[in-house]
Amino acid sequence: MAEARARATVVIGVGNSLRHDDAAGLEAVRRLRTRAERAGVVVCEQQGECLGLLAQWEGAGAVVLIDAIHSGRAPGTIDRLDASAMALPAELVGSSSTHAVGIGEAIELARALDRLPARVVVFGVEGRCFSAGEGLSEQVRAAIPALADAAGEEALRLAGRSATG
Amino acid sequence: MSEGRQRRVIRTDLLARVEGEGAMYVRIDGREVAEVKLRIYEPPRFFEAFLRGRAFTEAPDITARICGICPIAYQMSAVRAMEDACGVAIDDGPLRDLRRLIYCGEWIESHSLHVYMLHAPDFLGYAGAVEMARDHREIVEQGLQMKKIGNALMALVGGREVHPINVRVGGFYRAPTVAQLRSLREPLLRARETALATVRWTAQLPFPEVERAPELVALADPGGYPIDLGRIVSDAGLDIAAPEFDEHFIEEHVEHSNALHARIRERGSYLTGPLARYGLCSAQLRPLAGEAAREAGLGPVCRNPFQSIVVRAVELVQACDEALAIVERYELPDAPAVEVIPRRATGHGVTEAPRGMLYHRYEIDDDGTILDARIVPPTSQNQLAIEEDLRAVVERELDLADDELSLRLEQAIRNHDPCISCATHFLKLTVDRG
Repeated sequence: MAEARARATVVIGVGNSLRHDDAAGLEAVRRLRTRAERAGVVVCEQQGECLGLLAQWEGAGAVVLIDAIHSGRAPGTIDRLDASAMALPAELVGSSSTHAVGIGEAIELARALDRLPARVVVFGVEGRCFSAGEGLSEQVRAAIPALADAAGEEALRLAGRSATG
Repeated sequence: MSEGRQRRVIRTDLLARVEGEGAMYVRIDGREVAEVKLRIYEPPRFFEAFLRGRAFTEAPDITARICGICPIAYQMSAVRAMEDACGVAIDDGPLRDLRRLIYCGEWIESHSLHVYMLHAPDFLGYAGAVEMARDHREIVEQGLQMKKIGNALMALVGGREVHPINVRVGGFYRAPTVAQLRSLREPLLRARETALATVRWTAQLPFPEVERAPELVALADPGGYPIDLGRIVSDAGLDIAAPEFDEHFIEEHVEHSNALHARIRERGSYLTGPLARYGLCSAQLRPLAGEAAREAGLGPVCRNPFQSIVVRAVELVQACDEALAIVERYELPDAPAVEVIPRRATGHGVTEAPRGMLYHRYEIDDDGTILDARIVPPTSQNQLAIEEDLRAVVERELDLADDELSLRLEQAIRNHDPCISCATHFLKLTVDRG
């Protein structure tokens, strides 16, 4: 599997479809999937624990991650964070979990083990509600098209670069 | 405040990404531990309501979404409960083998994550796996290799690695071929070697001398080490079938936690999980795993929660060895599933999730509609015992500075690998508005 997509660009939506706005990353990759796959980009979802990301981006040249963010700003706010050369902000890489590895830790673990693609870009959307239940909040739902477009374009740009590079 | 009655408060958010969902609070008045609280957010309560009105066949797929780390446990307790309600038992043959195989995959994945990534840093003096990886790359690489074989088992039997889609009431939608299972033999042989090395490595870690005495509760399966079925037994003489669960265990709401606290009627706290399984069933381990445990210096019972890392490593050997035996003897079943016809009834299912006993009960209607659902996860069963561990740590380490004491307390929680909240993935980002 890793060989088949060597140096490919991978887009991964991270989230849980039964925790309201946590599903934003999944909704966004579902929206960009057709267009991205047509351009040779590998599109996948991660609903389990984040160490699984290391297997999903294994062998890839670039990865675009889409996830929900919880920071107290206006719901629907979109962020673009480049983690290619440096870690995500420290708050995202907390290591105090007793139970699981977070997305920031997965990136840093991969970096320490030389298992990180050369380009790593994270798109986040500020969520409002992360309690148990289905459906995005209105503000996050409204932001999904822009989030999917931004992440999709980034992936196509990275795929074009690695194809010619 | 008079001298000697100084108040200290130690609180920690245990899950960096999920503020308030997992939190610890300890209050010390003078030299007396006044209050110890572990707050746990618990998704199953939401799922119990979500399941009502759904078809009985949907329970395994819906409950698999409760936990990203142990979806198989939820699926297996759900299918057993539904089959129990409908008068079907899959207690032997290739279908049960496939169930045990996919469950072994989950044990391997979950225990690998905990042993190598979450627990090992506590003993080697690192804040987490990332910091440890810079100095001990080989440990983390071993963890990833082990996880990979767990993934491969889940993907092959379950249809995909996360939230498997191939499990159904009555068996599977599609049975893997003999050739597919045999292809796992070589990777499993390597994984078993790694697991054996891990037992030896964990056995020489520095452990504090601690002995805890909660009642140990696990399944007992006359056919081997418990995973997918058995009676519920304890070291205080409990020996009941799953339908008797409610007569012996009660759940109580406590003010500080979303979770219900479980206790054994008229006795109190109890522990499920690796230490309980090992303590009650070490004689049922496969010979290779039993031998590894003996070489590691574990007696037939281990009551030091810090040594749970050794017991999990022994269970890694057990899961790899059992998986190997299954892929070697597997023959294609006549059909991937047996027919299960719904009827108005109540069914009970209890299996051993990586972190402990998981109980499901469903009441279904004649047409299979779920009328009522009850899910008792291992962490709510262990919560009282964990709080008692925390109290013991504080009493023992009262003179430590707050930050050191806080770290010891986090370690005491990590010993039990609680599922504090594994159901969200969002990033927590602090914005500096300065």
